[in-house]
Amino acid sequence: MSNDIWVLAEHHEGKVKKITFELLSAGIDFSKKTGQEVAALLLGSGLEEAVKSLTPFADKIYLMDAPSFTPYTSDAYLASIASLIKEHQPSILLGGATSTGKDLFPRLAMHLQTGYAPDCTGLSMGEDGKLTARRPLFGGKVFAEMAFSEARPRMATVRNNAFLVNENPGKSAKVISVPPHIDPSLLKKKVTGFEKATGAKLDITEADIVVAAGRGIKAPENFKLIEDLADVLNGSVGTTRATVDEGWRDLKDQIGKSGKNISAKLYMAFGISGAIHHVLGIGTCKTVVAVDTDPNALIFNYADYGIAGDLFQIVPALTEEFKKALVADQ
Amino acid sequence: MEIYVLVKQVPDPEAIVKVKSDSELEIENKYFTSFFDEIAIEAGLKLKEKTGGKVTVLTVDNRRVDALRRGISMGADDAVQIADPALEGADQFALARTLSTYLKDKPFDLILTGRQAMDDDAGIVGPAVAECLGIPHIHSIIGLEVDDQKKEAKVLREVENGKESLTCPLPALFTCQKGLNVPRIPLVMNVMKAMKAQIKKVDLASLGLGPSDVSPYIKIEKYVPPPKRPPVKMVKEDFPQNVKTLVKLLREEAKVI
Ligand SMILES: Cc1cc2nc3c(=O)[nH]c(=O)nc-3n(C[C@H](O)[C@H](O)[C@H](O)COP(=O)(O)OP(=O)(O)OC[C@H]3O[C@@H](n4cnc5c(N)ncnc54)[C@H](O)[C@@H]3O)c2cc1C
Ligand SMILES: Cc1cc2nc3c(=O)[nH]c(=O)nc-3n(C[C@H](O)[C@H](O)[C@H](O)COP(=O)(O)OP(=O)(O)OC[C@H]3O[C@@H](n4cnc5c(N)ncnc54)[C@H](O)[C@@H]3O)c2cc1C
Repeated sequence: MSNDIWVLAEHHEGKVKKITFELLSAGIDFSKKTGQEVAALLLGSGLEEAVKSLTPFADKIYLMDAPSFTPYTSDAYLASIASLIKEHQPSILLGGATSTGKDLFPRLAMHLQTGYAPDCTGLSMGEDGKLTARRPLFGGKVFAEMAFSEARPRMATVRNNAFLVNENPGKSAKVISVPPHIDPSLLKKKVTGFEKATGAKLDITEADIVVAAGRGIKAPENFKLIEDLADVLNGSVGTTRATVDEGWRDLKDQIGKSGKNISAKLYMAFGISGAIHHVLGIGTCKTVVAVDTDPNALIFNYADYGIAGDLFQIVPALTEEFKKALVADQ
Repeated sequence: MEIYVLVKQVPDPEAIVKVKSDSELEIENKYFTSFFDEIAIEAGLKLKEKTGGKVTVLTVDNRRVDALRRGISMGADDAVQIADPALEGADQFALARTLSTYLKDKPFDLILTGRQAMDDDAGIVGPAVAECLGIPHIHSIIGLEVDDQKKEAKVLREVENGKESLTCPLPALFTCQKGLNVPRIPLVMNVMKAMKAQIKKVDLASLGLGPSDVSPYIKIEKYVPPPKRPPVKMVKEDFPQNVKTLVKLLREEAKVI
């Protein structure tokens, strides 16, 4: 048994996603306690840039190069990863709580007959090597600390921003090329198309800063104000179910119980009343700002900073103020 | 088409849930059929209306069969409850093994589940059932068309930076996400009928499963209350000073920008 900590590296257009560096950084921390090695698992093709960016973050990179890994399907990934795991028997396998992680990990865990903790907001490692996963239940009304059975590897998917990226990881990975295990008869699903979301922004689950407006914005065209603010902060734009149901915004930007859970460093809510269904989606954001004309709006109960005021006055002024401050920084 | 929909009755998102002790929660008695499971039922019914066939709703639950009754009232043809004292303490993998054992000799073309149940939010049961049955699965679909002749589904799936279209041979399992459809609201008459509908009950022994087949891989060790946010700081100055102060607080106190 190798006892290593593995992280499934995710990449988009050749670039490794931030969540992967966060998880490798956590792995490096854990390995200091237990002396395990940290490995990145990289599947795809044309991944020179990805290998380069991962090198300082791992002791090993297992590289499987095949065109059928892009775009992701569980058919192609599962057998290749499972056989590598059976060969090397890592102790832990981590991935992002992303569309790939959530599709692959539960099935892979069942295949390997091992435990998997989904959508975690924290992981901790005891001196004795015991891994505890923390995850929200009931949309974050309570949290559970999960323990794993004896089966290995212990698997978890983790939300963005649960760990900081190590500024000085100090590794220099050995690249190990592994032949992929692809049985064409198992490639049942075929990706036939991809409709890229409009705008170049990160998905709200991946963005460090999310700026959102609800019904208080009054009309779809007024979202321009919110987009301008998001642009200055290099953030993404979120919203409530109310505007999605009106057809003003796309469902992919809906935050909350029937939308997405976000874990941004900064979440700014404008004209959002703070219904429980909505705030359940922002429980793990670090700093929350709310602006609403109603000083008694529920959203203020979930915010760190609040202004009782008119968003039409405040948002443009905030955009200007941030612009000034950020220019002064340069 | 033979369609099976896996459903679960869960606490309503508005129900109060509190930590009672390390090992126990206090849950307000306000339950509903998990939001995404209703979307799965609706998807099954829509396909049945197009191609004919049958929709069966299936739950593992020792107490509640309301999700099955909801399914019947919406139009499902059949309902099955799997219940057994040995399932107390089960995890999602044990449930998947149980459900797939029930399903494995049934003539299904399609199995539908929710993206995740609205209580544990795990999203494990669907993909794990597909693995046990050796059929393909696709997680979080927002579009579905089936060619019954070709036994093939065209699926739209949400990913981080857009929407992916896929084709997938049947039988398959899909987990359903908001956007796929708007579940119908059953007629009162059908709700009444569903109250009296016959529900098949199945236990582990009749599936050939014993307690060791449902031992968990993961266990909740401890419940903890959510981290508390400090009370909100309201910036009460007049415009535009309030905006200046807020920017300053975010940069110098919260240090997020
Ligand atoms: C099963 C279920 C699931 C749900 N899931 C979700 C979900 O995932 N996400 C979600 O968001 N909702 C969800 N909802 C809906 C939720 O209950 C609320 O209805 C919704 O969040 C309200 O959206 P809102 O805050 O934009 O609108 P409102 O509640 O109408 O609030 C608008 C706010 O704007 C303020 N306002 C008005 N004018 C201004 C101005 N000029 N400047 C500043 N403020 C102003 C008002 O004071 C008010 O507080 C769900 C509901 C159900 C039943
Ligand atoms: C009899 C019984 C006893 C249990 N005892 C315990 C316990 O002691 N401790 C504990 O922590 N948990 C217990 N559980 C809960 C269990 O571990 C799972 O948390 C839960 O039932 C399914 O997980 P989930 O809600 O996270 O499902 P997810 O994986 O999020 O569900 C995804 C989808 O799978 C389907 N699905 C999920 N659950 C069921 C189901 N029960 N029947 C049919 N379809 C389903 C639905 O379509 C759902 O949308 C018990 C559950 C049952 C049924």
